[in-house]
Amino acid sequence: MYAAINSSTLHGVFGAPITVEVHIGHGLPGFAVVGQPDEACRESRDRVRAALLCSGVEWPNRRITVNLAGPAEKRGGSTADLAIAVGVLVANGDVPAEAVDGTAFFGELGLDGSLRPSSGAAPLAFSASGSRVVVPAASIHEAMLGAGRRAVPAASLREVIAVLKGEEQWSSAAQHPGPEDVRAVLDLADVRGQHQAKFALEVAAAGQHHALMIGPPGVGKSMLAKRLPGILPALNEEAAFEVSMVRSAAGLPTPVAPGRVPPFRAPHHTSSTVSVVGGGSPVRPGEVSLAHHGVLFLDEMGEFAPTLLDALRQPLEEGTIRIARARSSVELPARFLLVGASNPCPCANEQVTGCGCTPQMRRRYLRRFSGPLLDRFDVRMWLTRPRTEAVLSAVPEEPSATVAARVASARDTAMRRQGCPNSLIAPSAIDEVAPLDAPARAVLEAGLRRGALTARGYHRVRRVARTVADLRGDASVGEEHVRAALGLRRELGDR
Amino acid sequence: MRHAAALAALPLQTHARLRRLVLCGDPEVTWRRIMAGERVVAGIDERVWRAWRSSEGLEDTMGERCAESGIGVTWMGGPGYPAVLLRDPNRPAVLFHRGDTGALAHPRVGIVGTRAASRAGSAFARRLGHDLALNGVSVVSGLARGIDIAAHRGVLAAFGNSVGAPVGVVAGGIDVVYPAEHAREWEEVCSRGVVVSEAPPGTPPETHRFPLRNRILAALCDVLVVVESRARGGSMITVREAATRGVTVMAVPGSPSSPVSDGTNALLRDGCAPVTDVEDVLVALSLQSGGLPAGGPLRSVDTRRRPDADEQNLLAAFAGLPRTCEELVLATGRSRFDTGVALGRLEADGWVSHDNGWWEALLA
Repeated sequence: MYAAINSSTLHGVFGAPITVEVHIGHGLPGFAVVGQPDEACRESRDRVRAALLCSGVEWPNRRITVNLAGPAEKRGGSTADLAIAVGVLVANGDVPAEAVDGTAFFGELGLDGSLRPSSGAAPLAFSASGSRVVVPAASIHEAMLGAGRRAVPAASLREVIAVLKGEEQWSSAAQHPGPEDVRAVLDLADVRGQHQAKFALEVAAAGQHHALMIGPPGVGKSMLAKRLPGILPALNEEAAFEVSMVRSAAGLPTPVAPGRVPPFRAPHHTSSTVSVVGGGSPVRPGEVSLAHHGVLFLDEMGEFAPTLLDALRQPLEEGTIRIARARSSVELPARFLLVGASNPCPCANEQVTGCGCTPQMRRRYLRRFSGPLLDRFDVRMWLTRPRTEAVLSAVPEEPSATVAARVASARDTAMRRQGCPNSLIAPSAIDEVAPLDAPARAVLEAGLRRGALTARGYHRVRRVARTVADLRGDASVGEEHVRAALGLRRELGDR
Repeated sequence: MRHAAALAALPLQTHARLRRLVLCGDPEVTWRRIMAGERVVAGIDERVWRAWRSSEGLEDTMGERCAESGIGVTWMGGPGYPAVLLRDPNRPAVLFHRGDTGALAHPRVGIVGTRAASRAGSAFARRLGHDLALNGVSVVSGLARGIDIAAHRGVLAAFGNSVGAPVGVVAGGIDVVYPAEHAREWEEVCSRGVVVSEAPPGTPPETHRFPLRNRILAALCDVLVVVESRARGGSMITVREAATRGVTVMAVPGSPSSPVSDGTNALLRDGCAPVTDVEDVLVALSLQSGGLPAGGPLRSVDTRRRPDADEQNLLAAFAGLPRTCEELVLATGRSRFDTGVALGRLEADGWVSHDNGWWEALLA
């Protein structure tokens, strides 16, 4: 007559446990889903019916009511299919109610009764209550990231019915190998020259400072940016878990062992705002969330829609992005290192003597992403086309591993000292963690007096100087560190 | 004073009308007569009179505005009108100024040129401004981009040991900073010298005001130096204005292949005296104002901190070309961190400059 089945629903990148209640009673034959189901969930009516018939079960020709009980937001999605089907079986008495005790189910059904892989298997399994979570076999490795050995695979509804009736055992997860982490880590040594930019990237990586690269096409801006994950500190377990959750929720292939290399996302400049910040219905994580704990690289930053760049301000500030809808709001994680790249001027043609662009044209071009967003870039580097002797010089380039070791040790120092990367040092704490000696103070004050430095810039330079000192293993912030930090924070369109 | 400002700020006001109004006598009396409905001068449309009469209260607004921004007002025949303009046939009827008009009492050299200046041109203008200021010359320029601002930056850099104050001649109102990125220089020129304009406060820098501004600039100079100019443009208008006033025009020679030197090279071909250093200008100036300063011209006294041995090496590594940091690292063999820090120090002391990844040595 009545059954309650545990399942879960995806809410942004987090799963939420729900209970699928099924009641079979007298009345005109019918099948209704209540409890604010979304469109995909209303359609599950027909899928569940077809799947059950194909699995050799008699469809109860009575009045069937399905209620999705859980947190108040709109819920469902096609992943409730399996729970509804099992609920119908239990309510109809085909399967004993004890068999589903402490077990949660999710997965989309095909009309033939097969179980389809669902995106978000990791967070769904993570949040499902119960000692066992039945998931589509194709999603088992993802589900195991979230639920570990609680997750058990099922290939079809027929298999689920057989096990619930006690005719078979749950199959083992080991039969379903998942994808490996195949991302190649690119080596910084592939980029010849550009030492200044490499140093700037090292500082950005060590202190988690957002970085901006200005330079003509072909000087290696994207090459350098792509090598940033290789020098960033490796993800810890918790961060790697979060990264897997986001990838899974976005429906991207999720490696079996959570990768320790920070993610790198480079959306194209024609990307829509929703694809970058997240959204849609149901809400899917965007590029900013996929770059969580990693790098978001915006090539040709001036070409991105201004509204999109504005939308980045909240995640830059708070490390999360909130997508508010009339009925609910979803918060997605988005703490990333932003790396922007741009040409210096519209003609993108650099010459030593300057190109044909007038200062006004250059200013207008760079102004496209100026203002509040520009202010967040603590590290700004100018790349120039290397002359042949720099490219051909026999000086061996430093491999990523060497740089990564320095970065990791600097980050360690910072975390031990103040518990956060240097870019997040609070203004009130800066005097304590980054005290300046007299010459360093004099340099900064001269900058303030000349108007070369704003009050906000003053604090930001001090944070970068702290990172430079950490990288060089110096305990206190001296004049040379402040000079180096100032050198990394040149205003755009100087001239 | 506020009445003169109000006359200049009347709607539908033109250069010619203002001139005739000011020639009537005391601006305060003229203002009252206009407001009382009297047609003070002949030949002006009824439409204009109506507009003028409806401007009651403008004198107070203008008075407040001027007081707020520290702008002084003077008019032809009024107190404090610059003596140098008195003999000019096309002098501004009302002149607004901010700063000390005493700067106009020194010998004055105008430095003008294109807004799209080359680095070499900007550097030369800067050095010339600097050296002229050291020799007690007031440098007159337009506070525009390029050569203008470079010359004034040079003057401001010399300040402290100089007696020559900067003079800025601008097209719009003195409280309307244009271009906005020169706000700092604008402010400094006001406090160390003077900025003058014919336009009442609040006037936007409209295109037609620039040629008018150039005539005042030319009128204020004893000698006009054109550093870089294309064959046509604002600098050439200033040159023509200077020529009609008998002001000596000098030009800085440039490469024949450089379009920004087309105008100056044409001036040289036409017989202008060339300028290659401060002495050329001082000699030209002395012919008008009676002899060089005692003890000969004061050459540029470098007030920059002397670079130490390592920094000397770094400066030598430039070998006269713009360099990237990479190249300097290769040339000196020092670490990139040390090179970056050393460049930062040298930049703060004015020995090198940075633009889009390129460094340039600024040797004396």
